[in-house]
This record gives sequence, C-alpha cells and structure tokens, in this order.
Amino acid sequence: MLVDLPGGWSPLLGRLAWSQIPYANPILAPLFVAVVIGAIIVLGLITYYGKWTYLWKEWLTTVDHKKLGVMYIIIGLVMLFRGFIDGLMIRTQQVWAVGPHSSGVFGSLHGYLTPFHFGQVYSAHGLIMILLAATPLLVGFMNIIVPIQIGARDMAYPYLNALGLWITAAAAALIMISLFVGDFAHNGWFEYAPIFEMQYSPGVGVDYWIWTLQLVALGTTLGGINILATVIKMRAPGMTWGKLPIFVWASLSANVIALTSFPALQVALGLVAADRYLGAHFFTAGMGGNLMLYTNLFWIWGHPEVYFVILPAFGMMSEIFPTFSEKPLFGYITMVLASMAIAGVSWLVWLHHFFTMGAGPYVNTAFSVATMLVGIPTGVKVFNWAFTMYRGRLTFNAAMLWAIGALFLLLIGGMTGMMLAIPAINYMVHNSVFVVAHFHSMLLVIVYAIFGSVLYWFPKVFGFKLDEFWAKTMFWLFSAGTALVFVPMYMLGFMGMTRRLEYVFNTGWQSYLDVMEFGIVVYTLSVLAFFILLYVSVRDHAKNRVGADAWGTSRSLEWMTHSPVPFYNFAVLPHINERDEVAWRRQHGIDNVRPEHYDDIHMPNNTGVAIILGGLTFVLGFALTWRIWWLCIVSLLAIIVLMIIRSFRGDPGYIVTGAELQRMEEEAYRREAQIADSHHSHPVSGGVVGNAMAYQRNDSSKRL
Amino acid sequence: MSHGAADPTMHPEVQLSTSKGYFLGFAISAFLMLVATFLVTSHSVPPFGLLMVISVCAGIAVIAQIYFLLHIDISEHNIWNTVALVLFIPLFLITIGLTWWMFSQLYLRTMDMSVMSSAMQPAVHASATPGMAAMPGMNAHTDSGN
Ligand code: HEM
Ligand SMILES: [Cu+2]
Repeated sequence: MLVDLPGGWSPLLGRLAWSQIPYANPILAPLFVAVVIGAIIVLGLITYYGKWTYLWKEWLTTVDHKKLGVMYIIIGLVMLFRGFIDGLMIRTQQVWAVGPHSSGVFGSLHGYLTPFHFGQVYSAHGLIMILLAATPLLVGFMNIIVPIQIGARDMAYPYLNALGLWITAAAAALIMISLFVGDFAHNGWFEYAPIFEMQYSPGVGVDYWIWTLQLVALGTTLGGINILATVIKMRAPGMTWGKLPIFVWASLSANVIALTSFPALQVALGLVAADRYLGAHFFTAGMGGNLMLYTNLFWIWGHPEVYFVILPAFGMMSEIFPTFSEKPLFGYITMVLASMAIAGVSWLVWLHHFFTMGAGPYVNTAFSVATMLVGIPTGVKVFNWAFTMYRGRLTFNAAMLWAIGALFLLLIGGMTGMMLAIPAINYMVHNSVFVVAHFHSMLLVIVYAIFGSVLYWFPKVFGFKLDEFWAKTMFWLFSAGTALVFVPMYMLGFMGMTRRLEYVFNTGWQSYLDVMEFGIVVYTLSVLAFFILLYVSVRDHAKNRVGADAWGTSRSLEWMTHSPVPFYNFAVLPHINERDEVAWRRQHGIDNVRPEHYDDIHMPNNTGVAIILGGLTFVLGFALTWRIWWLCIVSLLAIIVLMIIRSFRGDPGYIVTGAELQRMEEEAYRREAQIADSHHSHPVSGGVVGNAMAYQRNDSSKRL
Repeated sequence: MSHGAADPTMHPEVQLSTSKGYFLGFAISAFLMLVATFLVTSHSVPPFGLLMVISVCAGIAVIAQIYFLLHIDISEHNIWNTVALVLFIPLFLITIGLTWWMFSQLYLRTMDMSVMSSAMQPAVHASATPGMAAMPGMNAHTDSGN
C-alpha cells in the first residue's frame, strides 16, 4: 500500500465491509427499503407483462439516436428529481437549525442532519444537478434533435453514441449507490485541496466523487465528439453552414467547449487520484504540493463547463421564440457569432471563481474585464430574442412561457454575474449565498429551457402533445417557487450569510429562511404537477395526436418528417433550399410533397456491447472506489478485450429496401391523414417541384 | 454511412500507422521518462536546472507522441488533425500562460522571497528564514526530511 488506509482492507473486498452499509441511519435505512421494494415491483411488472425482450431489443441495445436521447433525458429527469430531494433536505435543515435554541433529532445537535451528512447532501446536490441532470438532459436533446435538424439518418458514430449513454448511466448509478454503500464526498461539489486528501477525508466519499466525475467526463466527451462529427460530416444535401438551424450551431459551439475542456477536468481528477491512491503530493500542503493549483485546474474546466450547459439552452430558446412568434429568428448571423464568441471567451475567465486567492490587482483586473466581455455576446442574444418577439404574432402556450421565463432569469443571473465579476464586490460576497443565488438563476435558465423543449419537441418524438393546462400549472408553480426561494437568498447573500451552513447562527435570518422553505414546498407542488402532466397527457394521447408539423408554425427541418419520427428519420433525404426549410416550403406551397420513389437505405445494427461496457465501467468505478484491486484488473481487462473484439468485428449494418420503406411511409401518411388538421400530401416526380428541389435527387446512382 | 467507412482498417489514420512507428514512439517516451526519473531521484542537478531539463524532456516526449502515436501531421488528408491543432495551440498557451502569470503574481504577494530564493539554491539554509516555510508551493529541504 502506498497510502495508509484507516479502517480495514482485505484482498477480497478491499475496504468494503458490512459496517459500510448505513442500516442504522434513520433516514437512509427506510429509504433503502423503499428503493428495494420499488425495484422489485418494477422488475416484477416487466416480467409479468413479458417486456424483457422488448426492453432489450428496442431500448437497451439500440443505437438509434432518438431512443438514446430519450434514455439520456430519462436519466436526467430521474437525477433532477434526486437532486431536488437533496435541495429539499438542505432547505429543511437550514430552516430548522437556526440559533442555539433550535431543536435537534437523529443524533444532530440542531436540525435533523449531522454536519457530515449535511455535507454529503449538498455536495451530491451540486454534482448531480450540474453533471448528472443538466448535462444528460441537454446531451439527450442534442442527440435527438441535431441529426433530424441536419437531415441525417443517425449520428456519425451510432455505437459510440450508445457507449456514451451507458457510461453516463454508470456514473449515475455510482453516485446513487453511494447513498447506501459507504458515503459520499462532504466537501462541496467541486471539492477543495487539501481537505480531499487522504488524511482529512479518509472515507470513500471523495473516491466516489472522483470516479463519478471521471465517468461523466468520459461519457460527455464521447458524446461531444459524436455530435461534432455528425454536424460536420452528415448534413443533408444543400445544407450549407449558413443554413444550419440555430440549435445545431448552439450544439456545435457547446461541444467544442466540451471537447476542449473536459480533458482538463480529467487531468485534475487524475492528479487527485494520484494523491489519494499513490501517495503523491500534487495538492497537499507542503512536500512540493500546491493547493491552489487544484482550484485553478478545476475551474479551467469548470467555467467552460457552465457555458457548455448554457449554450444548448440558448439554442433551445432560439428555436422556441421564432416558432411561437411566427417570425424568423432576428439576427441569425449575430446569434451564431455570439455563440462562438461565448465559447471562445469562456476560456479566458476562470480565475473569477477565485479572485480572493489574492493574485493581485493586475491579474484580477484582467480576468474581471474578460468576464464582463461575456456580457456583450450574451446581451446580443437577449436583444435578438426580444426583437424576434417584437411585432410577432405571439402564442403564449406553455413552451413559450418557459422560454420567456428563461429570458427573465437570464437577465437576473447575468446582472448578478456582472456584479460578481467586479473584484471589489466579489471580495464581499464570495462564498456567500449571493453566489449560490447567482448560479441558480443561471442554471434555472437551463431548467426552464429544458422544460420548454420537453413541451416543444415532445410531439415530434412521441407523436402527441402534452397537456397545456397542466403544463401551465406546473410553469406557474415552478416560477412561484423560484421567486420564493431565490429572492430571499439574494437578500441573505447581501446580509453576509455564507454558503453551506448546516447551522445558521443568526436568528434574524429566520423569516427569510421560512419564506424559502415555503418556496420549496411550492416547488414540490410543481413536481407533482409534472407527474400529473405526464399522466394526463399519456391518458389522453389519442386526442392530442399531431402530424409532421405539430405547431403549424414550425420552421426547421425536424418538422418535415413524421411524428413520431420513424427510425430512419427521412425515407428520402430532403434537399435544403433555405435556412428555415419548413417555413420556406410552407410559404412556397411545397410543404405537402412526398417522394415518388424510394431507394434502399443503409442503417446500423443494434449492439449489446455498449451496455455491457457501461456495466463494466460501473464495476471498475466501484472497485476503484473500494480499492478492490482484483476486480479493477478483471473489469479493466474485460473492457479492453471487448473493445478490441468489437473494433475488429465492426458493424456492416443492414439494408432497408425501398419497398419496405414505401410500405412504412404510406402507413405513416395514412395515419397522418386521420388527424383532423393535417393536409394531404402528394408525390412529386424526380424530387423537384416547380423550380425548387424537394428531395435529394434520386435519379443519381449514388447511394447513401 | 458510406461503404468504405465500414472497414476501419481502411481509414487513413490506420493506414498511416506502422508497428515500427508505435515502438519508436513508445521507446522514445519511455527513455525520456527514465532520464527524468533518474535526474529527480539522484538530485544531480540544481532545482532550477532540473525544472528546465524536465521541461525539455517533456516537450520532446509530447512531440514524439503526437507524431509517432497520434500521427498528427499537417498533410492534406489529415485536415481535421490540423484543425484540432489550430484549436489546441491557443488553448494551450492560454491555460499554461495565464496560470503561470497568476501564480507568479500570487507568489510575489504570498511568498517570503528569501525562502523562494533558498528553494532555488540549496546552499542557503531554510532555518534562516522566518515563518512561512510551510506555504503551498514552498518545499525543498524543509519538508523533504520527513
Ligand atoms: C454573464 C455571464 C456570467 C458572469 C459574468 C458570471 C460571473 C460569475 C462569477 C464572478 C462567479 C464567482 C463568484 C464567486 O464564487 O465569488 C460565478 C460563479 C458561478 N457561476 Fe457565473 N457568471 C456568468 C454566467 C454563468 C452561467 C451561464 C452559468 C451556468 C450556467 C454560471 C454558473 C456559475 C456557477 C455554477 C458558479 C459558482 C460555482 C460555485 O462556486 O459553486 N455562471 N459566476
Ligand atoms: Cu465562471
């Protein structure tokens, strides 16, 4: 052993022992029982209805980008829920444990969580919300929408896509299992040196943290590579860069950030692991280590990461506003340039997370100015959205409400960000709940954009709309919750309340905390409204079926194919004439054309390798966390061997014949004809209508 | 999904690679690593010189790996490698350059300069310096004893 391990270690089980299962914990033990019972019920239902083959064939082994995207979104929503429960616990502890006379239960002096447990809850909350809720939700949407918007049949690397999903799932599983086996990190979601060193955090919490993050980073990088390659190489004929839908541009800029910044995180984590596993001294105090170097490395990734999550959200807003304003997006080119500028500047500002390190006036000023520069392209975007709505024919449906809400939150978050970017102010409020309120405003922009997108794109993916009434109810409850929680939080920040308090010493803050607790109750109601929304919508789905263009005012290419999108996306690849192709076709009266002739197409096969590799990475992460060396070696070897086998075997894909396609397409058209408000389509010969080209020329011998 | 892409061995990156290239890349990096390890463990060069020598070794190793293992060159059919390189170089300069700048400014303000210089010249005794010997980044002989 290179490092001293407090507690036992055995060759067979590593640090794992029965005592690591918190069966005496009054909160975790009942939860564990509930989870086990829930799992048994779900598995039992699947078996009872004989759905295992369906599940395996249609979902677990799929390489279809839409299904993978849906699974990303499901993981994201589940983790969002878990993160929300953490948030609820944090708020409840803080409203309870105020002042020396506050009561305490469950072994806690004040409130119901011991400091150690409270630390785990907020650390898990932060990590989960940013990396296992927001990130998978956004990656899921990019996965589903980008290929359809550029007129491709799948991602550039369908198998890699599945691999990225299952590695992300492994990360989610790893952080979930830390609830019941051992404990999680308790030093904040981004950790600090040297408290994460072995001497100060001897448990497995930090190790869980390392390997969870490492897996998410890996999965997201793979996904990023895939989206970049897809956008660059797989665009439909005629789709030049100037005609790319704006969400695709947003995804492109975001994934450039992902590809370039995630490696910095992986290096930082690798060095932390070297300290904890090999007894190195990268971030120790003394022995040549440097504490602040960790913070520096982390934020070199951390700040670009926050733009990685906000840029796709901006892209979503840029799709929703024009559709429900019945106008093209104002300032397309400036929008693209702004995304790229944000991506570029995001690399130059990371020190604003540690102005208080004390690098002095020159360094702080330079980074302060660089940070404020971000405000320029962001401002451009805000004005573009405002001008898109200006004199538009606005429809205030639920999707639009979420997008408008996102706009307001962006203003609040951006303004407070600007304040934080001024070192003189930052020295006052750094590490106060003011910062917490700032980044929650920002991350809520993302959450709002995501719920807007769920409503906006749901009919495309599933073929029916979600219920407007419950969607709006959820929106208003959620927004009320946001105001009730975060307005008092900004105020407390100004009063000097520091972040992450498990005991609030100042009884004068009680009333603010009460309001926030009430806010989180309202949030809980909105979560309830979301479940009702799903239930009601699925119950009434037959009534809410939609045709290809679900909103009637859509603009970009994804609205040209059927809803739900068939597995091949487009039977014949469309030819792109204009930037907002669907709007253009509608204007020119060629929105109802359909191809006259179908060619054979080539599609990728399903594979079970991806999910097995995902399972193995989970085992590897678990074994590394508990230092079960033999299991590490076995799972790592299995991963390598499996990858080599798969690489040599490759995937020849399979052919869907033209006749089969024709049959499926005709069925889809028949289904669409039954929906009241959709019009009939008629075939065009040679893919040409008038003097416009509707489809890729199918007279050429070139096959795809 | 074009046909040639189905056979990975036909990709230009794979076509470019040879076992000789891989072994050479591996051997060069391994050799440089050994040299660096030897220099560090033997303390045969003064600290500042050590820093320089190791940096040079690392630089050569990076170039050898980029060339022999990753086959990144600036030829026409590897155009995307060039794009990646063009993206990488400014980012490299930004991260390393700005980090160097912020930390040199930080040390100016937080480090006892007599300790700093003693770290560079082992001849001066650390005990001659007041207080701050345990600051991050400070090390050398004060800690190396234990
Ligand atoms: C207008 C652009 C923005 C500016 C000027 C800005 C500025 C800042 C500054 C100066 C801090 C450091 C505060 C401190 O710790 O003292 C900060 C923290 C933070 N910001 Fe922003 N920000 C901006 C946009 C964003 C966006 C888009 C996101 C995410 C979607 C975001 C997420 C965060 C997070 C997560 C933290 C704090 C992390 C932590 O300490 O746990 N910010 N921001
Ligand atoms: Cu930042």
